[in-house]
Amino acid sequence: MTGVAVCGLEVSLGGRRVLHGVDFAARPGEMAALCGPNGAGKSTLLRALAGLLVETPATEPRRVAYLEQGARCAWGLTVRQVAALGRIPHGDTAAAPVARALAACGIAALADARVDRISGGQARRAMLARAFATEPEVFLLDEPIADLDPAAAHAIMALLRATARAGRAVVVVLHALDLAMRYADRVAIMQAGRIVSDGPAAAALPAAACAFGLAYGVDPAPRLLPP
Amino acid sequence: MNGGVTTPGRLSAALGLLCAVLAGLSLLVGSAGAGLPGGAAGGLILWQIRLPRTALALLVGGGLGLSGAVLQGGLRNPLADPGLLGISGCAVLGAVLAFYWGAAQRFAPALPLAGLAGAGLGGALLLGFAGRAPSGPSLILAGVALSALAAALLALALTLAPNPFALAEITVWLMGSLEDRSLLHLALAAPPVLLGCAVLLGLGRGLDALSLGEATAASLGVPAARTLRLAALGTALAVGAGAAVAGGIGFVGLVVPHLLRPLLGQRPGALLAASLPAGAALLLAADLLVRLAPLALPLNQEPRLGVLTALLGAPFLVAIARRAAP
Amino acid sequence: MRAIALLLALAAPARAAERVVSLNLCTDQMLVLLAPEKVAGLTPLARDPALSYVAAQAAGLPVVRPSAEAVLGRRPDLVLATSFAAQTTLALLEQSGLTVLRVGLPADFPVIRAQTRHLAAALGVAERGEALIARMDATLALAAPRLPPVRAVLWGARGYAAGPGTLGDAVLRAAGLEDAGAGGRLDLEALVAHPPDLLVVPTAPRFPSLATALLDHPATSGITRVAIPPALLICGGPFTARAVRLLAEPPGR
Repeated sequence: MTGVAVCGLEVSLGGRRVLHGVDFAARPGEMAALCGPNGAGKSTLLRALAGLLVETPATEPRRVAYLEQGARCAWGLTVRQVAALGRIPHGDTAAAPVARALAACGIAALADARVDRISGGQARRAMLARAFATEPEVFLLDEPIADLDPAAAHAIMALLRATARAGRAVVVVLHALDLAMRYADRVAIMQAGRIVSDGPAAAALPAAACAFGLAYGVDPAPRLLPP
Repeated sequence: MNGGVTTPGRLSAALGLLCAVLAGLSLLVGSAGAGLPGGAAGGLILWQIRLPRTALALLVGGGLGLSGAVLQGGLRNPLADPGLLGISGCAVLGAVLAFYWGAAQRFAPALPLAGLAGAGLGGALLLGFAGRAPSGPSLILAGVALSALAAALLALALTLAPNPFALAEITVWLMGSLEDRSLLHLALAAPPVLLGCAVLLGLGRGLDALSLGEATAASLGVPAARTLRLAALGTALAVGAGAAVAGGIGFVGLVVPHLLRPLLGQRPGALLAASLPAGAALLLAADLLVRLAPLALPLNQEPRLGVLTALLGAPFLVAIARRAAP
Repeated sequence: MRAIALLLALAAPARAAERVVSLNLCTDQMLVLLAPEKVAGLTPLARDPALSYVAAQAAGLPVVRPSAEAVLGRRPDLVLATSFAAQTTLALLEQSGLTVLRVGLPADFPVIRAQTRHLAAALGVAERGEALIARMDATLALAAPRLPPVRAVLWGARGYAAGPGTLGDAVLRAAGLEDAGAGGRLDLEALVAHPPDLLVVPTAPRFPSLATALLDHPATSGITRVAIPPALLICGGPFTARAVRLLAEPPGR
C-alpha cells in the first residue's frame, strides 16, 4: 500500500494564493492530523491530496476516500443508501462492506432511517460510513467529528487510529487540538498557507501556540492558555 | 430497505401496464365519439388520428417525467423542471421560429431540430447563468428569468410572424396541445425523445453521487460537470423535440418525481426508470380528460393540455410546499 | 332582412366624396374596385395578396393606420368602415366633423349587389357599380346545380366550416353544390368520419400556421379537395363570384 503526497504545492483560488510550497505526505499505517486557525489552508490541502484541484493529479477513487467539510446529503436517503454510495467507485452494491462500515461507525441500528431525519452527529457518522464503505487505502477526512458529542468523538477518533493501525493512511482535519494530540501519530500545524510544524503529536504544541496566537504553558501539563 | 415501499422494477412494470391500459382507452376516445370508430373511415381515424396522438402523449410525457427526475437530482433541487427552468420555453421558441417562417414547410425535420437547438441553448444559458456551482436559489432565479425571456420572445415572434393567425396560436405553444397531430409529427419527435431518454436513463449513478455534493461526487470518480452536461443534453433531446410538436407542457416534470419519492424513496437514481412510464401515464391521462371534456361539457373546442396539467399540478405543488414548510 | 337593415343604417351623403379613407379590408377592396383615384388611405392589409383581391393595385395606393389621428391627417371627406370597427375611433372621427359610412359584411350575393350599388352611389360612380354587378352576374350564371348532388364542405382555418347564413354557404350553393357544413367548428375526426364528396379549403398560405396546417392533415388525403384563394372568401364582393367559378369548373375538368 502507498499513501498520497504533495511536494512544493502552490495553490491559488480566485486569484489569491492560498498554499505556498506545501510538502505533505499521508503514509500507510499512520494517522496524521492537520490543525491550524481558520483560513490556514487545511481544507485546500486536503482537497489537493484528494486530487480535486487542477494543481494535483486525480487520485484513484477506489484507493482514496474523501470526506468533505460539512458534507450533507441533498435528499432524504436512508443511512444505508448513503453508505452504499461509497461503493460507486467499485461499481457494485456489495452489502457486506456497507454493513461493516455502518457497524464500525456505530450507526447500524439507524441503517434504515432517513439521513435528513436523524441528528447532525448521526448524519455525520453516516457520511463517515460512506468513506469506510469504499474500503480505501487512504482516508482524507475534513472535520469528521465536528457535530459529534464527546463520547462519539472519542469513539470515532479511536476508530480512525485503529484503521491506521490496520495499515491505512489517515489524514484528519481537526479543530480539537487535544483530540489530535491524543489520537494522531503526527500533527501538522498550518498557518497562512504554510505548514509551520509537522512531527510527533507531542511536539506540536509550541507551533500550535504560535499559529493560534495563544500562550503555551507546561504546568501541570503542556497546554495552551489565553495570551 | 430503500426508503420506499416498492422497488423501481416492480413500480415501472405496474406503470407500464397503466400506460398500456390508458393507451387502449385513448384509442377509444375522440371527437367522433367514444368507442372504436366505425364505418369506412374507422381505420383512418384510429391509425391516422388517434394512434399518433396517443403515442405522442406517451412519448412527450415520458420525456418530461424523466427529465424532471434527472434535473431535480442533478441540480439537487426539488423545484427543477424543464418548464419552470425555461428549457421548454426555449424549445418552443426555436420551434415557432422554424414553423412560422416556413423552414419546417420546406424541410420537415427543421421543426424538431429547431426545438432541440432552442432547448440546448436554454440549458446552456441556464448552466451559465447559475454559475459553476448551480445552487438552489440562483438556479431557480436563472430559470425564472429564462422562462420569462423565452415567453416574451415567443410573443414577439408570433406578433412578427407573417401569418395572420400566428398570434392567436400563442396558447397552443404556451400551454401545449396534442390535437390533430399526425404520424409525421410522431416520426419527427420520436427519435430525439427516445435518444434523450436513453442518455438520461444512464445517469442514475452520477445523480446518486451528486446528492452528496460536487466535491464528494468527484472524489467518487463521478465528475459533476460531465453529469450535468449529459443531463442538459439528454433534457434538450427529450424535451426539445416534444415541445416542438406539442408546445410547452408544464408541471409533468415537476410533479412526477414528487409522486414517486414516497413509493421509491429519495435516492435520485432510483426514480429514473419509473419516471418515464409515470410521466407518460400522467400526460396520456391528462390528454384523455382534455378529449373527454368537449364530449361531456358544452365546449366549442378542447381545453389546452397544459391547462389541465397546471390545474392538476398547481394544487399538488402547494401541498408539497405546505408539507415541506417547518 | 340584412339588406334592409343595411340600407336603413346608411344615409348617403348629398355630394360625392373626393378623398376617401377606408378602415377595413372589405371596404378597402370595394373602394379600390370602384374609385381607385379617390383613395386617401387603405388599411395595410389591402396590400397583402393572401388576404386582398386588389393587392396589386393597392400596392401603388396610400395606406393608413386605422387610428383617428392618422386618419384625420389624411383630411378625407369620407371614411368607410364596417359596423364592427372600433367605435371609439369612429366616434372621434365623427366629432371631428368627418362623414363616416358604416357598412355591413355581405353574406350572400343579393346583399353584395345592394352594397356595391350603395357604395358606388356614395362615391359618385354609379355606372362603375353597375358594370361590376353585371360582370359578377355573368360569372354566376355559368354555374348550374350538379346531378347527382355533390356534398361539399368549405373548411377553413382552425377547422371552422361554412354553414347556413355564411358567405361560404352562399358560394357553395351558387356553384351548384350542396353545403354539407353546419357552421361552427368541424373537427378532424368528425370530418373524416363523414367525409363530403368535395372538400373546399383556402389555398395554402405562403407562411404556415397551426390553423391552416390542420387542413393538410394526412387523414384527409382521401377526400377530393379544391383550393380557393382566401382573398375571394374573406370579404363578400363582386370578386367572390370568381370563387363560385373555381368551384363550378374545378381545375382538371
